[in-house]
Amino acid sequence: MKCMLSLIVVISILPACRPATSASADDKSKVHVGIVFDIGGKDDRSFNAAAWQGVNRAAKDFPIILRDVEPGDPTSIEPAMRAFAERGYDLIIGVGFAQTPQIEAVAKDYPKLNFAIVDGVSRLPNVASLIFKEHEGSYLVGMIAAMTSRSGILGFVGGMDVPLIHKFELGYEEGAKAVNPKIRVIPNYVGVTDAAWNDPVKGKELARTQIEKGADVIFAAAGNSGLGAFDAVEQYGKDGQGRAQRFVIGVDSNQTWMKPGFVLTSMVKRVDNAVYQIVKDRVENRPIGGVHVYGLENEGIGYAVDQYNKDLIPQPAIQAVEAAKQKIITGQIKVTNAMEK
Amino acid sequence: MSRIQGYAKNAYPLANFLAPLRGARYTAQLMKLIRELTFPLIAILAAFLVGGILVALIGDDPIQTYALLIGSALSWPDGIGYTLFYATPLIFTGLAVAMGFRCGLLNIGAEGQLTVAAFATAWAGISFANSSAWMLIPLTCLVAIASGALWATIPGVLKARFGSHEVINTIMMNFIAVGVASALTQTYFKQQGDPILETLPIGDGAHIPRIGQIIPGIPARIPLNMAFVVAVLACALMYVFLWRTKWGYEIRATGANPNAAEYGGISVKKQIVLAMAVSGGLAGMVAINEVLGYRYRYYQGFSPQYGFTGIAVALLGRNHPAGVLVAALFFGALTRGGLFVDIFTEKVSKDLVLILQALVILFVAAEAVFRRRMGKTESQV
Repeated sequence: MKCMLSLIVVISILPACRPATSASADDKSKVHVGIVFDIGGKDDRSFNAAAWQGVNRAAKDFPIILRDVEPGDPTSIEPAMRAFAERGYDLIIGVGFAQTPQIEAVAKDYPKLNFAIVDGVSRLPNVASLIFKEHEGSYLVGMIAAMTSRSGILGFVGGMDVPLIHKFELGYEEGAKAVNPKIRVIPNYVGVTDAAWNDPVKGKELARTQIEKGADVIFAAAGNSGLGAFDAVEQYGKDGQGRAQRFVIGVDSNQTWMKPGFVLTSMVKRVDNAVYQIVKDRVENRPIGGVHVYGLENEGIGYAVDQYNKDLIPQPAIQAVEAAKQKIITGQIKVTNAMEK
Repeated sequence: MSRIQGYAKNAYPLANFLAPLRGARYTAQLMKLIRELTFPLIAILAAFLVGGILVALIGDDPIQTYALLIGSALSWPDGIGYTLFYATPLIFTGLAVAMGFRCGLLNIGAEGQLTVAAFATAWAGISFANSSAWMLIPLTCLVAIASGALWATIPGVLKARFGSHEVINTIMMNFIAVGVASALTQTYFKQQGDPILETLPIGDGAHIPRIGQIIPGIPARIPLNMAFVVAVLACALMYVFLWRTKWGYEIRATGANPNAAEYGGISVKKQIVLAMAVSGGLAGMVAINEVLGYRYRYYQGFSPQYGFTGIAVALLGRNHPAGVLVAALFFGALTRGGLFVDIFTEKVSKDLVLILQALVILFVAAEAVFRRRMGKTESQV
């Protein structure tokens, strides 16, 4: 009994020790934004991380209330969206194409709330579809890969074997072939389920197999699994002049800082910009339904050149890629979109 | 006819049946009930106290956090609806594990049994999609129960025939179940180009109604469905089976002391197989909720470990159907409230719920220690 009493005493004193938490959670005048991440979680340093960065930047710039969920398993995605909807959140963002059916189900039940889905397409009037022209960015990094490769063999490690990732693969191959028609691309996919985004061990295995087959530049479009490819190229070390033997190309977020010298560039998908923009639209009360396309022309897609990789790509290569970028924007170069084939 | 059967048929049920009519017996039973309830309640209370201290240490307000937890679990209609919905599969798996325990078996294969059942149910729902609802619903329910029972019978037979331990076999069968179901889904039952590992939808005739379609005032968005009613019925049936039938008596006798049961003329081997089959059938009924009432398809990874949570539910519910029902409702409320705590607090994550569950189980398990102490003091007096 004494033990119980002391517990009760402790528990009643503890809250008094701290300053009261900000009770601003129910300030109805502010726009409430809820974001539901993919299985990878917001620290995947890639796709989800970019979305997380975007909403956080928006939270700094606008007076919004922001809450996030990392569902952890696919069954918790829809309940999390419904929890936001029940509380009347003004904008609910789903990250990743796999959440499209869930967000549509919830959006139908709550027609007055706004929703946004990253990478997915929905026809509902209250759902904004944020999609990217990944094939165009992949084309540009494919060019850089082909200009860097000495063996004439490139690798591609995809996450889940789905049409969305085929878009990356085909664009990459077309870009590489534009530079060197004889180049060969070895494509491999981590898996066919959600787990494919979160399996760095398998990612590494695939990258090593490709290197053993002769590939010297590997494009990893596999979320968390792609980090395995980073480890694989690092294992092959650098030559006498301090240049890496094998290179990896990052995806979604700029990943050149992660293994400096080994990361040739990153196919940057500005999920952060897209998410930031949709929050801004909601705050400024613009209608947000419909398809929002992000490509080279509006800086939604790009390739990374910064202090970590500027010595890896020679200036003429950059000029060639920039020229191709302008031609894609003006329509002179047509990159095949694998999802519209 | 053995002596045991005669005893079971005549004296035993009669005595129980008449018990409530006798005053002294009635108070004694009430006292027993109170005693049975005291420890789980204390365990829950103590778990919440310790959990509250953890919340305070993390830096959130424990009272606000618990208000959010309980408030979101019991709000009308969404909170209650979801609490009951989350409780439904846990009632089935809790009953399944309790049935095993009553026969002295630890069935940790409920997860595999419900996976196989869900796949088989979806298969039946797809293959006979054009039948009428009157045919299809009983058929799919039957498939759910039969496939779960069949999957559990295998380790049951292995135990009875060769004495190989059911814990090892059931857990291995879990892996086989998931592998087989996902392979079959991938090769034969998937929609072309669907990026999600799930089967085609089952026929409309196999959909069981949601509670919202029956009781007006409950919005249709809440996935609570007739499977919950089935689950409550299953609790009642299990009580009748265990305490009012010969088979149930034999199972309990085997669980209490297999040697004595064998000596009394009960075939222990038969009881093991029977208990495993019933246990697997109960676990398989999860498919009624998930496939026929909620997703209308088999979905890879649909179960967030219902089979294993069922062990905790059975433990907290003291392997009694009524206890299992209450424990499952409690766990359902925690699942629902945990989601809101995860989202709408500053620092506390949904792991709080896991900690609370673990603490409850820990305190329930510690009961034996308390009992022994109390027994000592009583005997000293």
